[in-house]
Amino acid sequence: MTKLRKILTVFALAFSLFSVPAWAISMDDAKAKGLIGEQVNGYLGYVKSPSSSVRAMVEAINNKRRAAYNKGAKNAGVERNVFEIRMGQRLQDRVPPGQYIQLQNGNWQRK
Amino acid sequence: MNLNQLLPTAALLSVLTVVSGCSPRVEVAVPNEPITINLNVKIEHEILVKVDREIDDLLSENSDIF
Repeated sequence: MTKLRKILTVFALAFSLFSVPAWAISMDDAKAKGLIGEQVNGYLGYVKSPSSSVRAMVEAINNKRRAAYNKGAKNAGVERNVFEIRMGQRLQDRVPPGQYIQLQNGNWQRK
Repeated sequence: MNLNQLLPTAALLSVLTVVSGCSPRVEVAVPNEPITINLNVKIEHEILVKVDREIDDLLSENSDIF
């Protein structure tokens, strides 16, 4: 009985390791907590100096974004930087009040 | 021959230049500018529409990264 319980505990622990989400913190959580925000260039940036998990999450998302922007720019027939500038505008427009956007001068502003 | 044919035109042009130079209607050259500006705006607008369409697609397809 106790042995079974031990085995079950070990299994539960093992499963809990695997069930941890891909990122210790989600993008939405980090945005809501004011850790990250939208830059003018269409990519996420750090409002505060990031922990390693926030950094990993942001880098992975920005890489995915870059690939998406490449595709979008190609479809629209423009350079990627043109696409990024417009994307930055669009994404910053969508940022809800209370979250951060980075201004042209590099300062962060709470919307 | 050639010079003779050109001479009246040249004379006319120079007279016109002098006359228009004297007249207070400086606006003569103005109508050209808005047309160029409008062309530029139109081109940029078309590009913007294309880019925005792609952005709309991206936003709806990749909600996890935006």
